[in-house]
Amino acid sequence: MSERILEVSDLNIEFHDHSLPETVVYDFDLTLHEGEIVGIVGESGSGKSMSAMAIAGLLSRHEIRKRGQILYDGRNLLDCDRDTLRRYQGEDIAVIFQEPMTSLDPVRRIGWQVEESVRLHHPEIPAERRREMALRNLADCGLADPEKVYRQYPSQLSGGMRQRVMIAAAMMGNPRILIADEPTTALDVLVQEQIIELLRRINRERGTAILFISHDLSLVRRLCSRVLVMREGRIVEAGPVEDIFNHPAEDYTRALIRAIPRVFSEKRGGEAEGEGTAAAAAPVLDVEHLDVFYQESGQGIGELFRRKRAEPVVKDISFSLRRGECLALVGGSGCGKSTLARAVAGLTRSYTGTVSRPGVQPQIIFQDPYNSLNPMHTVRWILEEPLRLTGEKNARVREKRILSMLEKVRLSPELLGRYPSQLSGGQRQRVCIGSALMQQPELLIADEPVSALDVTIQAEILELLGELRREMALSVLFISHDLRTVYQLCDTILVMEKGEIVERGAVDEVYRRPRSKYTKALLRAAGISS
Amino acid sequence: MVIDMTGILNWKTESGKTNWYLVLGTGITGFVLSLIFIGLLHPPYDIEAMDTAHKFAGGSLRHLFGTDNFGRDVFSRVLAGGFTTMKIAAGTVAVGLLGGVLIGAVTGYFGGLTDELLMRINDTLFAFPSVLLALVIVSLFGSGTSHVIWALGIAFVPSFARMVRSEFLRYKNSDFIAGAKLQGAGALRIMTHHILPNAAPVLMSSVMIGFNNAVLAEAGLSYLGIGVQPPEPSLGSMLSEAQSYLVSAPLYAAGPGLMIIFMVLGFSLLAEGMSREQLSGAWF
Repeated sequence: MSERILEVSDLNIEFHDHSLPETVVYDFDLTLHEGEIVGIVGESGSGKSMSAMAIAGLLSRHEIRKRGQILYDGRNLLDCDRDTLRRYQGEDIAVIFQEPMTSLDPVRRIGWQVEESVRLHHPEIPAERRREMALRNLADCGLADPEKVYRQYPSQLSGGMRQRVMIAAAMMGNPRILIADEPTTALDVLVQEQIIELLRRINRERGTAILFISHDLSLVRRLCSRVLVMREGRIVEAGPVEDIFNHPAEDYTRALIRAIPRVFSEKRGGEAEGEGTAAAAAPVLDVEHLDVFYQESGQGIGELFRRKRAEPVVKDISFSLRRGECLALVGGSGCGKSTLARAVAGLTRSYTGTVSRPGVQPQIIFQDPYNSLNPMHTVRWILEEPLRLTGEKNARVREKRILSMLEKVRLSPELLGRYPSQLSGGQRQRVCIGSALMQQPELLIADEPVSALDVTIQAEILELLGELRREMALSVLFISHDLRTVYQLCDTILVMEKGEIVERGAVDEVYRRPRSKYTKALLRAAGISS
Repeated sequence: MVIDMTGILNWKTESGKTNWYLVLGTGITGFVLSLIFIGLLHPPYDIEAMDTAHKFAGGSLRHLFGTDNFGRDVFSRVLAGGFTTMKIAAGTVAVGLLGGVLIGAVTGYFGGLTDELLMRINDTLFAFPSVLLALVIVSLFGSGTSHVIWALGIAFVPSFARMVRSEFLRYKNSDFIAGAKLQGAGALRIMTHHILPNAAPVLMSSVMIGFNNAVLAEAGLSYLGIGVQPPEPSLGSMLSEAQSYLVSAPLYAAGPGLMIIFMVLGFSLLAEGMSREQLSGAWF
């Protein structure tokens, strides 16, 4: 084994800004060898980011107490004074964050930001040389036109390009350790794949050790050689990736692995009761030659004179959805899938073509459960509102139906008096589903309903959707970028690229024999080999 | 409209620290309000009883702030004047709030041409200092308590409208509003039941700031002699009278002056405390 470069032992992290100190990380141990990629996996609140930030020296000195040892270069980083710590930061230990939108300064040019660490650590290097280094790093990180990017501002770059810039900036000092905190979570699946490839290449070519923090086990499996599984501030299991995957020792690790949706195995949700009946059933949604236009939220007098309806976001799409069917709509970000959903539900009127949806108004479940519940109302009010809106005057009937819905979405009646801020992400999404089903729609549109949730919660919500589908004979239009979750729940699939349908068919058929290039790329990014 | 207020007066912020702004603000405002209340029920002296034998009496236990140029008890008059000011401030804020919420909600929610027209009128009103605007209105329609309320109230509409509009703009495209639309909620219901409660926190602190401005504006108008008319006591007109006797009877000016200071201080602290609570995330 190569040289040990970082040794963390008995690291404890406590918050002291509340009246009672609260421990968020207990007895964290980690050894990192030269050129190794180690993953830390856990759900939100597991302390994985906290531990990494402590290693990077980014935790506040006043309100957060740290005990234990972080040995780097023969020194305990926890005992170092600020100046010593600063010598290591950015130079020996670099960090990239999850959100490339906020981790770059919006008012500075890319070049200036990439050069910043060299400017601070090596003021003796002349500007000309600094610029060369920046350009070389940008090119190394896969930015096609480094000269141009060098002069641009963050707002002019896509999310993937920004993350490449972040990596280029982090690599300026040729760090020995790169801490990557969920670097791909905010990105599109295909872009995510490219960033992973870039990290792998940096590790191979420059020998940088990488500490990769993620909630996504399948991603960790593809990138890392060793992994630590964390839960509620403690390491529950650690070891080589393949050992952990093949022989998990802890229940929690098993649960995490089980939560990864499996493809080409038994389906989790309910399969529709026989393909034959589904095909014969009446359509609940029929879309023909649909073009949807981007609604420019016009401001000012100019709005009156502007010609509306410029470029369609969704182009000439036709499909129909039968009772009890679950149809997946898959594509990368910006492909128009959410726009299509809004048009189908009737939230936007700027479309041409026909959308016919006989029966009760379809409802949408949105991606972000933090934004889709009214923060000023209680769970009871939120569930009661759809009934009031349908004109149900009898309060006792309303109460009864609320209680039966709570049972359906597996929530305790104790939560009725709570506000959304007092619920967990999974509970919120259950409330959203309950509220959407209150008026008994035949069609439910689920717009990335699980992508903002933790893996184990994702599995629970998918399971719930599958059960509800069976119980209520519900048709679902399931929008997602994640081909793995789609396989679990859906019967048929539409793949969208740049507003057009590039592939359609039964899920099994498409996964086994994808025809379009785009579908193949998506399957590859999801780690599914057909 | 149902607004749950339980979260508004929390002495502690999310992180467990005491919100001193809110505690002090509530304390001072409560003190001022109880003084005014006592003045209403049991004024120490009849506010109009003149006692020419005791003009400009100094401060004593009998006359806390002495007596004025007619021998009337200053303390009793400060309490009564405080009530007048509070009455006008409440009326002004009510008029401003009602008009502001109406205009702000409609323009923010619907947008388009209505928004464009109403907001340009709003901007025009905004261009004048509110006291100046009130001055114009009062000189057109005459002075007196109810006129002052209307004048200041109308002058306050633009700032409330602007704030409510921005809150409506912020929420109208959020997912939970889209959800309410799909469930069949009409525009009126969405505005009153879904968006307005979310604007309440911001509204509450600007109501407090509004109270503040109203107290000062009323005092200003009455000081200039075009606000509240005698014999109704007002803090502003008392100050203006006391000004002539500042050297011989300094306590006369101190009475109404202190009352104004306490009112403004209390409301400012309340507004600050409430906005701090929003920042600390107690709302979400």
